[in-house]
Amino acid sequence: MPQLSINGQSFFADAPPDTPLLWVLREDLRLTGTKFGCGLGVCGSCTVHINGEAVRSCMVQFKDVSENAMITTIEGLHPSNTHAVQQAWIEHQVPQCGYCQSGQIMQAAALLAKNPKPSEQEIVEGMNGNLCRCATYSRIVGAVKRASEIIGEGAKHV
Amino acid sequence: MSELTHIGASRRQFLVRSAATAAGAYFSIGMPGLLRDGSAQAAGTDAFTPSIWFTITADGKTTMHIVKAEMGQHIGTGLAQVIAEELELKWEDVKLDAPLESVENFAIYGLAYTVNSGSVTTEFDRIARAGAVGRIALVEAGAKLLGTEPGNCYADSGRVYNKASGLSIGYGDILQKVKIDRKFAYPDDLKSVTLKDPSTYKIIGKSMPALDIPAKTNGQAKYGIDVFLPNMAYGALVIPRTRYSSKVLSIDDSEAKKIPGFIKAVKIDDSMGKCTGWVVAVADRFPTAQKAAKALKVKWDAGPYASLSSADLLEQYKQLHADEKLGANWVLEGDVDKGFGESEKVLEMEYTTDMVCHATMEPLNATVQHSNGEWHVYVGTQSTSFARMTLNAYLSKVLKKKPEDVKVYVHQYLVGGGFGGKQDYDDILAAAYCAKETGRPIKLIHTRESNFATSFARTPTYHKLKAGIKNGELVAMNQDIVCGWMGARFGVGKKGGTDWLQLDSWDAKKQDIDQWSIGGSDHWYYMKNHRVRAWNHEPTTWAVQASALRTVSNSYNIFVVESFMDEVAHAAGRDPLEFRLSMLNGKGGNRGIPNSGYAPGTGSDYYMDQLWISLPWTKEGSWPVYESGTVGGALRLANCLRVAAGKSGYGTKKLPPNTGIGIAVTAAEERQSPTWVAGVAEVTVDPATGKFTINKITIAMDPGVAVNPKNIEAQIRGSALWGASQIMSEKLTLKNGAFEQSNFHEYTPIRLAQVPEIDVTIIQSDRHPAGVGEPASTVVAPAVANAIYNAIGVRVRHMPISPQSILDGLKKA
Repeated sequence: MPQLSINGQSFFADAPPDTPLLWVLREDLRLTGTKFGCGLGVCGSCTVHINGEAVRSCMVQFKDVSENAMITTIEGLHPSNTHAVQQAWIEHQVPQCGYCQSGQIMQAAALLAKNPKPSEQEIVEGMNGNLCRCATYSRIVGAVKRASEIIGEGAKHV
Repeated sequence: MSELTHIGASRRQFLVRSAATAAGAYFSIGMPGLLRDGSAQAAGTDAFTPSIWFTITADGKTTMHIVKAEMGQHIGTGLAQVIAEELELKWEDVKLDAPLESVENFAIYGLAYTVNSGSVTTEFDRIARAGAVGRIALVEAGAKLLGTEPGNCYADSGRVYNKASGLSIGYGDILQKVKIDRKFAYPDDLKSVTLKDPSTYKIIGKSMPALDIPAKTNGQAKYGIDVFLPNMAYGALVIPRTRYSSKVLSIDDSEAKKIPGFIKAVKIDDSMGKCTGWVVAVADRFPTAQKAAKALKVKWDAGPYASLSSADLLEQYKQLHADEKLGANWVLEGDVDKGFGESEKVLEMEYTTDMVCHATMEPLNATVQHSNGEWHVYVGTQSTSFARMTLNAYLSKVLKKKPEDVKVYVHQYLVGGGFGGKQDYDDILAAAYCAKETGRPIKLIHTRESNFATSFARTPTYHKLKAGIKNGELVAMNQDIVCGWMGARFGVGKKGGTDWLQLDSWDAKKQDIDQWSIGGSDHWYYMKNHRVRAWNHEPTTWAVQASALRTVSNSYNIFVVESFMDEVAHAAGRDPLEFRLSMLNGKGGNRGIPNSGYAPGTGSDYYMDQLWISLPWTKEGSWPVYESGTVGGALRLANCLRVAAGKSGYGTKKLPPNTGIGIAVTAAEERQSPTWVAGVAEVTVDPATGKFTINKITIAMDPGVAVNPKNIEAQIRGSALWGASQIMSEKLTLKNGAFEQSNFHEYTPIRLAQVPEIDVTIIQSDRHPAGVGEPASTVVAPAVANAIYNAIGVRVRHMPISPQSILDGLKKA
């Protein structure tokens, strides 16, 4: 039975090999924070991290995920749910309906991991693939900037 | 423990009481606010259960019972702020829950229906009073425990204080020590409660962090799609040949049967006119159900709309419009024909708008379980009440049982985007039918493709406008509107479908005009002669399942009226701002009506009669009757326009080439429930390509009391961008009876890179709070169209505005 490493734990799943990772996460592992939006990789609601990269989990088949791949979902982003992006998201009161926000947060976290001090343009480019029908966009930009500050403050203390 | 107390009492009493239960003392309060005497839905009179808005437990925590759908507007937080203010709670002690929808709870809470940006407006007075009498009862009980009179005490932050000694006792301690049993006469004692002076508010008017947000940042928030039940199977829809009225002729499941995990192809009973032509593939996983749905070979009779396309609709609208007898008057003031006859200049223009759809990020889905004779629905919906009633009507028919013998319960979850798109229940019916056919709980999930294919579209529209100008004044205005009537399927207007809704309040007064399709044309500009007429293109209503979408008809009528108003201003040789302000003078019916649950229109009885819609909260004489949002009338709208225009630099800012600023106003959502909003857009057009960029949107809104300003700002920003999305890029088209767009690569809502700067001003006052979730979405489209005209002199009379239409306009110029 194929093994997956998700949020630091090992899981076994017996889903058909062509099952998109999204549905393994949701239906087999009940990690429902990762959302189904389009099934075509064009909305970003299903974004997770594979080895730190933001990936649309609806476009990755179960059989193509290597056993060594480190998968992170919104549930595992931070042990106490206080990742800088999560803090900033609450501080700026970003979510409205909230359905796309797991994907937005995972996208933002991956962006900041690579580029802790993104310019406004880099934020817009980095987040443009994530659709939000409530159009929380201006707060998303503000919250990514704030998360960048929080990360910066944390780095200073180290 | 059950949060509900069943209290034997007469209907005319309002009870405040606490009770000891296994889980500890608690205190609850309620009133039969929405209960209709004689309603078949009411519990027996001996076991009358009052509606209950909140429960205080012995730990001092208060749970607010919220029947309004949580779909991004953070309504639970807003309503809780109102109760907590009057109840004098510590905000940290507030929690929320959502009551189960059932026949019994409907009798307590009334209709659970979240639409119209109406939740705060309609609930504010009622729940504020519920909070106030709760505080009175707690102060009385607390005073006794503190050894003094209630008059010597006050409540603050969840405690009762003795003014003289400073000694205090917490609400939780009071509940542990005494049993409260205090009766208030309904409605007189409630009416006579003095509510707090807004200047003393401590919780209302503060931007309390939304209580639903933390769970939305860590994956813990639960939407309908996140429900799992033991032994559950999954359903995926085979996309029918047409949007509506296809009939299944045959199903070949030979290929589907080869897929491991495939369970069954279920042909949904569509005898109620819902789920027409639906076949659902049921499997042990959703991806397997998707695969099976693709493998099923279904043959349909494509029905009456099989060859209907968007291009045909416009032609049919024009033909329909040619027959004046078929039009119905909506606004009729003065004599427009006489006014046109006396005019020096007459302007006539045609406007058209395309279809759009909700495309909520959470695709429509429903989970239904049938066990022990009970049908349980798990869903995020805008109306758990209508969901229950509709499924009850459907199952009664399918199972050939009496409605009272079919027990339906609806469990509400978070709604992953509503916008009017989650007030239909086809998915619930189909999931229930699959549960019946398979004997298993079923979660039916729409793929994005089947979600688009079964959209409830905003109707396309055709408008003919005519204005008469004399001495630079608008002396007569006519607007003709041809479209599919969007309220028709809900029982509003002609040929309503009230039989399946089974709710008495909707069919009390059937009309031959549909407010949901015409509203917004009844603007607040003063003019002596004004007429609006409407034609119903019935095939549209059914073929595209025309339905309400954020601000309903305002979303096209404000575009049309406010674009045309600019045209008239230019034709009259006046500045569009000055021209508008001169007519937003609060004269006649535009003055607004104080202290009424609704306000009449622009003056004539005929108009009032046409306007009337029998929603329970607008019935004359109903209680509570809150101050009408129309107080102040058009003068408040003029004020918003001054603020927005001034802040945007309209008429003063030096603009780059090919750049213009356009203005617009709205009083959406409805004439009797206006929210005063002005919007300004600054737009730059590239004359080489016709592409336009919105540089900045400025919004000024006067909502009266602003319960939670930071949340109102979020709603305004989101709805302004919704409007920007509509004018830039959203377009749904019909071809041979089916929608052409299948996913977000073809139907393209606004993305981050297209977001302009947005400047929001909230004009707060002590006036009764108005709805904030939708109205700002209506002003952006016309403001953009007017800005494009001011930038390069091209008038586009169609929504959305394509670069090609701008290039065509430039060629003509």
